Amino acid sequence: MAEASTNSPAVLRGRHDFPEISGRIGSIVLNGRLPRHFWIAFLLCFLLVLLFLYSITYLIAVGVGAYGINVPVVWGTMISNFVWWIGIGHAGTLISAVLLLLRQPWRASINRFAEAMTLFAVAMAGLFPILHLGRPWFFYWLLPLPNVHMHWPQWRSPLVWDFAAIATYATVSLLFWYMGLLPDLAVLRDRARSRGAQLFYGILALGWRGSAFHWSRYQVVYFLLAALATPLVVSVHSIVSLDFTFAITPGYHSTIFPPYFVAGALLSGFAMVLTIAIPLRWAFSVRDMITLRHMDNAAKLMIAAGMVVAYGYVSEAFFAWYSGEPYERAMMAERALGPYSPLFWTMLGLNCGVLQLLWFRRIRRNMPLLFAIAIAINTGMWIERYIIVVTGPSRDYLPSAWGEQSLTWLDFGILFGSIGTFFALVFLFIRILPAITIFEVEELAEEEDKLR
Amino acid sequence: MSLYGVMAVFADSEGLVEAARGMRERGYRRMDAFSPFPVKELDGILEIPKTRLPWVVLAGGIAGAALVYGLIWYSVEIDYPINVGGRPLHSWPPFVVIAFEAGILGAAFAGFLGLLAANGLPRYHHPIFNAESFSYARGGQFYLLIEAADPKYRKGVTKGQLTRLGAEVVEEVKA
Repeated sequence: MAEASTNSPAVLRGRHDFPEISGRIGSIVLNGRLPRHFWIAFLLCFLLVLLFLYSITYLIAVGVGAYGINVPVVWGTMISNFVWWIGIGHAGTLISAVLLLLRQPWRASINRFAEAMTLFAVAMAGLFPILHLGRPWFFYWLLPLPNVHMHWPQWRSPLVWDFAAIATYATVSLLFWYMGLLPDLAVLRDRARSRGAQLFYGILALGWRGSAFHWSRYQVVYFLLAALATPLVVSVHSIVSLDFTFAITPGYHSTIFPPYFVAGALLSGFAMVLTIAIPLRWAFSVRDMITLRHMDNAAKLMIAAGMVVAYGYVSEAFFAWYSGEPYERAMMAERALGPYSPLFWTMLGLNCGVLQLLWFRRIRRNMPLLFAIAIAINTGMWIERYIIVVTGPSRDYLPSAWGEQSLTWLDFGILFGSIGTFFALVFLFIRILPAITIFEVEELAEEEDKLR
Repeated sequence: MSLYGVMAVFADSEGLVEAARGMRERGYRRMDAFSPFPVKELDGILEIPKTRLPWVVLAGGIAGAALVYGLIWYSVEIDYPINVGGRPLHSWPPFVVIAFEAGILGAAFAGFLGLLAANGLPRYHHPIFNAESFSYARGGQFYLLIEAADPKYRKGVTKGQLTRLGAEVVEEVKA
């Protein structure tokens, strides 16, 4: 199970006993004495939160014209941010659910924060379609609520499917995450010294006592939720891609989109896992629990997903040509050579070029370099979403109606604001809840101990 | 104060499994084990019945999907039919998408709430928390509880048996 050959470093490094595991993970939360650089980083994120709030207020007060969109390109960064964030969320579900079903032991120490990452990414993603609406206060019209208009949502619209998919995804992720937290909250409840912490974790733990009868049901349901989350995650990003493919706009109308979006989601999601995990294991000295094995495997999954994405690019271009449609062909040519071509080639360079470095084990095991590659892929994937959203409408059927959009400060204010808010939430999560699953690491340590 | 049972503490899961098996062979039935992580062998020893929760999850999924599909059907056929160029009102393929999501949502809620209900959680208090040595604070402690309601239960005898099975601490638990 955990063969510690030179090719694959052990999932857990060194020998661990139970008091040490629960003590180390629990004390990050309970002592509350986090390193200074933690709070400095949090402060920087908090400034971005303020920028986010300011930008949103400005957007709502002035209207959607305040950021780059303009006819004919009326879908802009709000949509690309949305797709990007949802994609980032997907790696968390893949790690926690799919790897659980495949019984991959290496998921144990990273699944908790990967799930948290999913939740926060979905929280960010959910904001963007609402901000995109122009009149965000009417977003509830997407819900089948009894109201004075006597109307129903348009069930045949991908935007309504999207709403259903995102709402379901957020809810199921939350349930799955909370269920995984229960046993660890019981550990924190018992470890907590202050009355406030005892009450807080005690109430959240719901009276969990680790009875064998409870564990037996718990495992069955946990597996079932994982089995439900797996088709869900595929359906969510497929439905997101249907927002595009259901339109006849050149560059949107393509059957490759659902699988290509799901693969892109995994690529950017794993890049984000590495972006968080590499500083996390360094800052909290948990390099023996989140080991090189985890980093290595995540990098391998990145290259697997990345090659599918590259296939998507090729297939998109090929079918634009093979369709014989002049509009599709013109759009593709304009994407590569037109006003957005610098972004297009940057995207290819990052998502297909830089990615190839991960074939080398020395690079996968070199943490600063891997971190830089993860940042590059995150950027590349954001550009990819932007390219997809923008180039289609900018080169529509009627050449006289061609036009571009430009990015304004507000586009970046909202994008970086959302990134800051996301990381601020991650920091708060690390402060308040155990970022590594205590009970699964203990289980893993015991299994490894038996093998010795 | 009446007695709920006696609880034995073990340092590792093997000790707990051995003791549970031993007590089982001595004829005890009303036992429970507590561990910081699931211990597979206990399912057989404690004769934990196979849970029916998967059926609850399935029912939740079907209910969620059926309810939402029914709502959509009602809205397009009865409450607000709009004739768009003679296209069918009940155009099912797009409706399946939302029904699928609703099915997953229903199944997940049924699973989570069903688990809490079956386990009797949330629960404000349980007698096991009266035991001094019961705590997950140090991680890796394993507990075996013999209820006083067990017909084989004899205070001194049971405690002695648990000690001989390798318990580190044996403690009476008040109800």
